[in-house]
Formats: sequence, C-alpha cells, structure tokens
Amino acid sequence: MIFWEIAKRNIRLHLLRSTLAMLGIVIGVVAIASMGILGNSMVLAVSDSLRTVGDSVIVTPHVGGGSARGFGGGMGGGPSALTITEQNFQQIQRASVPNVAIPILQTSDRMTLGVGKDDIVATIYGMNPDDVPDLLKLREGGYSRANSGCLVGSKFADDNNIKVGSRITIGAEGDKGTLRVTGIIEERGMAFDVSTDSAVVATRDWFDNAYNRDDYDKVVVKVKNLDDLASVKTAIENQMNKRDKIVDVLDTRKTMETIFAAFGQITTFVSAIGGISMIVAGVSILNIMMMSVTERIKEIGIMRSIGAQRKEVMSMFLYEAVILGVVGSLIGGALSLLGGYAISSMMLQTTKYLFVPSSLVNIVYGVSFGIVVCLICGIYPAWRAANLSPIDALRHE
Amino acid sequence: MDDQPVMMFRDVVKVYPLPAGDVTALDRVSFQVERGEFISVMGPSGSGKSTLLNLMGCLDTPTSGDIYISGTRTGDMSDSELTNLRRDRIGFIFQYFNLFPLLNTLENVIFPMMLKSQRAVDPAKGRAVLRSVQLDDELFTHTPMELSGGQQQRVAIARALINDPDILLCDEPTGNLDSKTGAGIMELMTELNRNGTTIIMVTHDPNNARYSQRIIKIADGRIVT
Repeated sequence: MIFWEIAKRNIRLHLLRSTLAMLGIVIGVVAIASMGILGNSMVLAVSDSLRTVGDSVIVTPHVGGGSARGFGGGMGGGPSALTITEQNFQQIQRASVPNVAIPILQTSDRMTLGVGKDDIVATIYGMNPDDVPDLLKLREGGYSRANSGCLVGSKFADDNNIKVGSRITIGAEGDKGTLRVTGIIEERGMAFDVSTDSAVVATRDWFDNAYNRDDYDKVVVKVKNLDDLASVKTAIENQMNKRDKIVDVLDTRKTMETIFAAFGQITTFVSAIGGISMIVAGVSILNIMMMSVTERIKEIGIMRSIGAQRKEVMSMFLYEAVILGVVGSLIGGALSLLGGYAISSMMLQTTKYLFVPSSLVNIVYGVSFGIVVCLICGIYPAWRAANLSPIDALRHE
Repeated sequence: MDDQPVMMFRDVVKVYPLPAGDVTALDRVSFQVERGEFISVMGPSGSGKSTLLNLMGCLDTPTSGDIYISGTRTGDMSDSELTNLRRDRIGFIFQYFNLFPLLNTLENVIFPMMLKSQRAVDPAKGRAVLRSVQLDDELFTHTPMELSGGQQQRVAIARALINDPDILLCDEPTGNLDSKTGAGIMELMTELNRNGTTIIMVTHDPNNARYSQRIIKIADGRIVT
C-alpha cells in the first residue's frame, strides 16, 4: 500500500534521525534480553548444581531448640553438635516408608595423601555401603564394601592428583588408619545432603571405629515419587516433633523452588532496569514521530483534501513507528545474543545455558516489548495527525 | 444524475464564532453550477472566497443552508463520507501545487486512484492522464522537486483528474507561475473544459477569469453578481 511506501521513504529521508531513534530501541532490547538471558542462565546453572538433590528430604537435629531429648549431643555429649540416635533414625525410617532413609555421619579431619606430602583437612562422610549407590554416582572406579576402601569427590581427586588405588592416611598422626580409593564420585556441585566434591566417603563401620560414633549427623530420605516430598516431610515432622521440635526437616525441592523464585525476582528486577531504557527509547520515538507529524502537517492536509481517510493518515504514521520498532528490535535481538554470550562467558564461565529455549525466549520478550513500545509511542502522534482539520493543515506553512 | 446541477448552494451561511463576536463569512449564498461550466469566483481579500472554496470542496460544513454535489446533499454526511465524496467527485488544484515530495510524478498522479481502489493500481491510466496534460514521459519518474513550477502544476492537474471527478476546484492555479507558464496552464484548463470537465476557479486575476464562461463575484460574504 502507498502509505507503507511513504512511511519507508520518510524514514530513509531522515535516516540519521531515524537511526538515532532506533539506536535507543536497540539498547533497550539488548538491556532487557541480555539481563533476562543472564538471569535464566544463572537459574539453570544453580539448577544443574542442585538437580541431584531435588528429590530429597533432609533431616537434621534441631538447632536452637531447648530440648534435645533422645539426641546424643544433648545428653551429655559435651560441646559436639547435636546428633540423631539410632532410635531416632528408626523412627524416621518408619515414617519415610516406602522411601529409602540414608543415615550419614560427618566430620573433618587431617589426612595425608602420600609419602612426603603435606597434610590437608577435608570432610569425611560415613555411610552404609548399601546406601552409597542410591546417593552418589561414580565418575570412575567402583563402590567399596570393605572398611579399608573409600570414595573421593572429583574436585578432591583432581586437586590432589588422587587416582583409583591411591591411599589416604586419616588422622593427625595417621591414627585413624589408611584407606584405599576405590572410586571417584561424579561432580555434584552444591548440595543440601552431602557435598562430596571435596570430601572423602568412607564406610559407616570404619567411621564408627575411627571416631567412636554410634549416632548420625543427618538423615537423607530419597523420595521415589517427587509428588510425595511434602507428605514425607510432614510424616517425619509429625513422627519426630510431636511434643518438642527435635529435628529440622528440609524439603529440598521446596528449598530449590524458593531459591529459583529468588533468582526469578532478581531476573525480573534487572530486566525491569532494562525496561527503563526501553521507555526512554520509547519517548525518543514519540519525539521523532511528533516532529514528523509537525513537519508534514501540510502534506496531511493535502492527503485529507484529496480523499485520504483519517485511518489511512493514522496508518502512515503507525507504519513508521512499526518500522522503527521492528528494525530496531530485531537488531537489538541479534545483539542480545552476542551480549548474552559475552555476559554468560564473563560471569558464569560457560555459554551452555545461552542456546536453550528458556534463555532464547528472553530475546523474543525483548523484541516484542520493543515493537509494542514503539507502536504505543506512535499512537498519539498518529492520532494527532489523523485528527488535524484539513483546512488548518492546508493553511499550515 | 447527469441532469442534476453538478453543484448547488441554497441559502448557505457560514459563521465563525470568535471571542470578539461571531463573524459571518458567508451570508445566505445561493448559486448552482451546471455540468460542463467553467466558472470563476472573484472578490477582494476577506470577501469569503476561501470559505466558499472550503465549502465547495467539502472541507468544511455550513452553519446553515444546503449544499448539493451532483444531487447529493452533503449536510448529513459523516467525515468519512465527505472524504469519499472529495476523493471520487472533486479534483483539487492548489496555488502551490501541493505535490507529495516523497512520491514521484506518476505516483503523485495515481495516489487518489490508490485511495479509491485500496490496492495497487495499473499506472497506465496515470501515464495517459499525464500525457493528456502534456507532460513528457521522461518526467514520470522524477520527484516534484525536479520539476519546474509549470510542470508541477500539470502533474497536480493530472492528479485532480485521475478519478474522473464531477468538478475541478482550482485555487489561484497560476498564482505561483510566471505569466507565460500561467497562460499555458489556463489553455490546458480551457481544453479540459472543452472536453466536458466542470471547473470552478477562485482567482484574483481578471486575465484568468477571461477564460471562464461565468464569473461569480463575492463581497462581504454575499454574491454580488
């Protein structure tokens, strides 16, 4: 249609002005989309780190409560942390049926990783050999059933050049004995249950003997059906905290949801900051559209006098706004991909979360928002042009 | 419809309400224009010529009285209907040509056709009309800025003729041209009239008025002859 052609030609005629207005839109789209991509990439990165523990209920002794009846640490256990007794564990296990309840012991100790090497301090977990495959996957090697064997985390192995078959001497003077590494655990990242990346996992029997322990630091319940997470949590709480609150029960999925919600809010916030730049760009579009109308009042009068309807005059200016919006937004969308790539590379050290639908959709949002803002900002000037009196417009010089 | 006057004013009054008091620009004006006439409207500044032109062109509505274009009463028409009436029945020729600078010669001429058809149109008719106003083919793709004043006015006349209007309304069509070019334009308009086009021309210039068959003189908002 001729009005579309006139709109295009007018933009070409005022190329510098139009380009500057589009630049604002480009910046706005890049700001919104890049921030959205970054936020989503952060969520995905955290999600990847926490994914392995999203199906667990973690039971720990209640911290800060007055009574710790039935718990080892509270019954004359000295300054050590509260722990979960075997009896408590049995109750938790019953409340969790048919899901698997895994008792876990945990401490930190010095250890020597080879002749002539310096001691280091690392976390040591004690677990039943039968439970380990439920919780941990191996990168290499195999699970150990013997008390002399252990698993190590991937970072622990990489940092200390530990391989399957390496030996680790535990204790300040090596008094806790020597363990042979039978397997290296897959990287797990942050975790609510056990953070094994820089830790050693020994058998529970070895742990009991070495540290003289007959109770547990936490219990991890692996829930088979994720829909049961909340009900398992409630069952444990009802079982254990009938009279006094003696355990804290953490539903990891709920916690992850809270974390993701927080990330979502952060993403929304930074995208909103990008949105402000888009509004500024919209004002710039409004400004040049008003200039365009003012410059062309006589032309509008001629059009109206020879038979152009109000809506046709309006469409001509809306086309201009749409062209500016679409071109600016598409350029901004393309640059957002580059921006997202750069920001992800710098802040997350990876771009693997960039080319996923939930990240790319931010570009669609940014581009759509850019076009809508331009269209909205074009409406008033277009309406004003369409409603000029033909007589007054023809007289305009 | 052909036996109807192409334009008829009946007791038309136009009053402009101003803070200092109402100003009556036209006072009970009645006249009619028959098909094929060439009429000049003359009068001093402030006599009401522009108001009359605006009313004849359906750009404005009267305070009272009736205006008929080819038998159709315009008083009850909506803005959209009046716009269509201007597009289909009236051709405008302005003193300052008023071509669209973003369109070339041919596009300027077929613009009203596009408004009427609402889609792409065959430019053949535009070329034919441009040739009929004696514009060279090589100028068809030129922009208005690349044309002389006389050429621009010929393009404007072609644009006014493109939808085969009932009437051509001309506002000082030679007012911005030198006398020789102006005479050429007047010859062209005479030729158009000879071929059946009805023309109403507002002019100050008695030389131009000589080309018309009838002169309506207006003073103080009233027709005096």
